[in-house]
Amino acid sequence: MTKLNLDFSLHYKAFNFTIKKALDLTGITGVFGHSGSGKSTLLRAIAGLEKNISGSIIFNKKTLIDTAQNFSVKPEQRNISLVFQDSRLFPHLTVRDNLTYAAKRCVNGQLKLTDILKLTELEALADANVLEISSGQRQRVALARALLTEPKLLLLDEPLSALDQLSKTKLLRLIVKIQQQLNIPILYVSHSVDELQQVCDNILVLSQGKVVSYGNIHQTIHQLNFLCTRLPSEQLIHQQTSLSLPIASTDNGQGLMVLTLAEQEILLPRLPDMFIKNQQLRCFILASDISICLNEPQNSTIVNQLSGQIKAIESSALDESTHSVLITVICSAQEFFVHISSYSQQKLALAINQQVYLQFKAGAVRTYLY
Amino acid sequence: MPSPDLLALAVTLKMAALTTLILLLIGTPLAWFLAKMTNRFKVIIEAIVALPLVLPPTVLGFYLLIAFSPQHLPGKIWQQATGQQLAFSFSAIVIGSVLYSLPFVVQPLQKAFEQLGDSLLEAGAMLGAGPIDRFFTIVLPLTKTSFITAASLGFAHTVGEFGVILMIGGNIPGETRVLSIALFDHVEAFDYAKAHVLAISLLIGSMILLASVYLLNLPRRITKKMS
Repeated sequence: MTKLNLDFSLHYKAFNFTIKKALDLTGITGVFGHSGSGKSTLLRAIAGLEKNISGSIIFNKKTLIDTAQNFSVKPEQRNISLVFQDSRLFPHLTVRDNLTYAAKRCVNGQLKLTDILKLTELEALADANVLEISSGQRQRVALARALLTEPKLLLLDEPLSALDQLSKTKLLRLIVKIQQQLNIPILYVSHSVDELQQVCDNILVLSQGKVVSYGNIHQTIHQLNFLCTRLPSEQLIHQQTSLSLPIASTDNGQGLMVLTLAEQEILLPRLPDMFIKNQQLRCFILASDISICLNEPQNSTIVNQLSGQIKAIESSALDESTHSVLITVICSAQEFFVHISSYSQQKLALAINQQVYLQFKAGAVRTYLY
Repeated sequence: MPSPDLLALAVTLKMAALTTLILLLIGTPLAWFLAKMTNRFKVIIEAIVALPLVLPPTVLGFYLLIAFSPQHLPGKIWQQATGQQLAFSFSAIVIGSVLYSLPFVVQPLQKAFEQLGDSLLEAGAMLGAGPIDRFFTIVLPLTKTSFITAASLGFAHTVGEFGVILMIGGNIPGETRVLSIALFDHVEAFDYAKAHVLAISLLIGSMILLASVYLLNLPRRITKKMS
């Protein structure tokens, strides 16, 4: 288990960042927050690129910085690599030479350049000028280059933000593949919770320079649902149900994929062939995409109907004008979040412990890691 | 025995080459320091570096003459260390030229370093490159044209120097008598034919050097405009 102990603060003119948290880095850990939340600052501090920090960072029992002891490891000696949002490839070098630059300075030299070219699907571009390739390709080169330093920790700072949806999905899949094959712990910064919940096991949520939440991706997102209701100023995410469910069937014969939720099932539009039966699928359903029925719906085109019990009803605490409530419903031990108007809640007289049916279309079950 | 004018040419080239070399060695770290500096002392140092651009060369020459004389500390130290007088020596005109041409080397380099910024250097650090490594593998290749420009301007400006050398170097053949001073001598002696030869050579030489510098900078400016 890789451990990262963060205990430092950092001050700029109008921005204060403080963190005191021990992270267990397994797989991909997400760092989520809006711009100005301190996500990039956190990564830069870990990488050693932030000069004005005070406090300590300890990575796997190795102190990277401890300002109390006046100790700091130089960024080039931390064995941590950061992939920047803007690629930062060396414009005077070709793709291959950019990669060689990293490989030449790597102490271990276990990874072969050709293997990494293959893994990142860059073989055809090896001799290209880095100014003449697309932004998606540039990010792949930046990723490949970072991998060739054989980092003990890989930091990704919004690597997808400049890409179109298709390139995003492709790169996201590549990041998962890299993590699985090379087994490098990754800290992945993003302002998109959708992106993070597709790939992260754990997530650290930052807001205005402070840690809001840290933990399992699904649980943390569900916590954020409540935070959105309680503090409307902190509209961190779209309220949603975040799920990992096993695939019962990749195609039910009618173009729908079937997921198992204990004795119930969830249908969604069929995904490309990369998925297999029993594999866990990460998906999410926006709270505004689910509706509630008191009786089992008959004669409806809406394919997903789950029976459950209301666990909690939370109305927006501060902002009366929204006239909406967030209802938590337990279906087969899984929490679902439903966002409805106060009007509907009163009309149906919804109350805690009441048995209800949830309804949502197949298309409301979203995933984009395909 | 070469002609006096050829000797003056040799002294000029030797002085300009040595000056350019010294300027690159001290101008590069100075330009780097200025490019990375953020506090208010930056403007003061920048102003000092730029002074030779506006100051009459005779002002600089006058103060250097005083400093280089054996009665004053710099001149005294030099005399004790080398056994020779600093004023009216080849070393004196090289030191004078270094100060006089400093802005022509520091300014283009500083501008190039500022434009390059920190982002690629941070990327280099993330790939395990230390500061010296980063300078030679990232900064130098990406600011190559600015280095050539700086060196050419420094060289050309040193060749064209007159006032400072006249003040601190005098007119010693083979030691401090450079082309510009030889030209002045010919004019004073009403030998306009010889003066013409030197004047036109300096004009053409400087023209070629400057045209090459602008040619070198041309593609970059055009590509920038296009993007």
